[in-house]
Amino acid sequence: MQNQEGCGGGGGGATSCEFEDWGSFGDEAIIQQKSEISADEAQKIPFVADKEPISALAAEYQSGSPILLEKIKILGEQYAAIRRTRGDGNCFFRSFMFSYLEHILDSQDQAEVDRIKAKVEECRKTLQSLGYTDFTFEDFFALFLEQLDSVLQGSESSISHDELIIRSRDQSISDYVVMFFRFVTAGEIRKRSEFFEPFVMGLSNGTVEQFCKSAVEPMGEESDHVHITALSDALGVPIRVVYLDRSSCDTGGVSVNHHDFIPTTSDLPNSTSGSTQSIQPYITLLYRPGHYDILYPK
Amino acid sequence: MAEDKYNMKNPAVKRIMQEVKEMQSNPSDDFMSLPLEDNLFEWQFAIRGPRDTEFEGGIYHGRIQLPAEYPFKPPSFMLLTPNGRFETQTKICLSISNHHPEHWQPSWSVRTALVALIAFMPTNPNGALGSLDYKKEERRALTIKSRQAAPKYGTPDRQKLMDEIHENMLSKAPPVPQLTPSESPEEPSSNSEIEPPANSQDAEGVVTREVPSNPEVGERIIEEVQEVPDNANPNPTGVRASREVSASGPSDQLLPKPETRVQKPADDRLFTWAAVGLTIAILVLLLKKFMKSSGHGAVFLDGS
Repeated sequence: MQNQEGCGGGGGGATSCEFEDWGSFGDEAIIQQKSEISADEAQKIPFVADKEPISALAAEYQSGSPILLEKIKILGEQYAAIRRTRGDGNCFFRSFMFSYLEHILDSQDQAEVDRIKAKVEECRKTLQSLGYTDFTFEDFFALFLEQLDSVLQGSESSISHDELIIRSRDQSISDYVVMFFRFVTAGEIRKRSEFFEPFVMGLSNGTVEQFCKSAVEPMGEESDHVHITALSDALGVPIRVVYLDRSSCDTGGVSVNHHDFIPTTSDLPNSTSGSTQSIQPYITLLYRPGHYDILYPK
Repeated sequence: MAEDKYNMKNPAVKRIMQEVKEMQSNPSDDFMSLPLEDNLFEWQFAIRGPRDTEFEGGIYHGRIQLPAEYPFKPPSFMLLTPNGRFETQTKICLSISNHHPEHWQPSWSVRTALVALIAFMPTNPNGALGSLDYKKEERRALTIKSRQAAPKYGTPDRQKLMDEIHENMLSKAPPVPQLTPSESPEEPSSNSEIEPPANSQDAEGVVTREVPSNPEVGERIIEEVQEVPDNANPNPTGVRASREVSASGPSDQLLPKPETRVQKPADDRLFTWAAVGLTIAILVLLLKKFMKSSGHGAVFLDGS
């Protein structure tokens, strides 16, 4: 077992060192253990899994809460499929990455690519003005732009849908794109720190900057409303999050709640001020407490 | 791990190359860091002891290992020069360098980490693993020793790099500050206490000490006074002042002070000194007179 290998570094058996070495349970051991956990997780599910019917979701809750089963039934009426992502703390960003690139691959929307590229440039300037050193983020930016160009067909570097899945499962690409989104998110939160401050205060006791340092930029830190709002605003991409939890209405009817994150930036081409109804998010994520997956509407 | 030829498509290699380039184009006086020639993931560094600490003037060598997943995973640091703050040849506990492994972020770099390491030198180790809590004097002794040469460590190639780094750092490093045993207290305050002499012997003692310095001070006063237009006086003011003061007696010892107020604060001290000197001289004269008169008194007493 991998666990024994890591733990037995000092020579002892797995059980003995677990209890004797608490005092010297240093960073090395923590890193070791974390990588073991993520290796375990990796065996269970790739970064981005294959598409599954909604019924696969119901199977998970066979003996679970009737409210959840009821909700999954309703979900099944609106959504065709689910694509799971690995629960490594990066699931929101990873889901967003795949869903967005897949959308571009399917739609071949050149105008959208041009629009987001301009946004990415803005994000780059934001980071520079916040004092980030270029070399610390440019690789991540370059890699995302490369993927963006690849999903547009008609050039030498164009990739197929299968290739997109392969890349999304390749750590050296997938993690870089996730990190790109983390940079964009941190930049947006810090740029508009006054706006985000009250939300950040609710999640942590520190300042906006500390929040970004501890909960946005490090890989594996889970995402919350703040992250989603910031990423959606920064890139001008609307996101729908469907909530699958045990909450139910007092009136008796069970319904599946969703929340649309509509970019506040006014330069969205099809946004008319005030009405958020006109925007149909093309990225839909399923939220279950602690985790995000991708949903496919019918 | 990594061989001579690097896969430039490898994002870690690309990133590290950029850091090397950046390190070379923006050198810092506080640290120097370079990868080994044959391994981009193995670096040597030297940091300068932070100013105003017992480490000032010291040159501390260390080794950095970059993980294959860099910059997603943090680099690990160890010091090689004995320093009294961190154990040598032991990976520095990342938690105390503020780079919690779980919170390491790709926007940090070797540079950021080195700056943090320097900042952590003077902090309290609080019993953290791999930390040492030597006394200041012991650390200072190590600081002085650290300048002599780079420690002996690793392969000849690594040693060569360390020696080069040492030479470079030494050329830029400030000297180890000398310890001053104690700061000299202000002298004027003790002088003012001498002013009212209790008996003639003390007074004479003061006079013999003060006399040699008096002319010099007097001259300076004259110079200063001449700068003041209102006081344009052809006569040597020092002499005149002494006469006036002697006429009015010890209660008027503050007389010269109004003049000094015109001057800059630095000159005030000179005037005070002069006034003290003059007053003492006057007091001595008065005492002599008093001695004479008291001598007469004694005669009278004897006579009665």
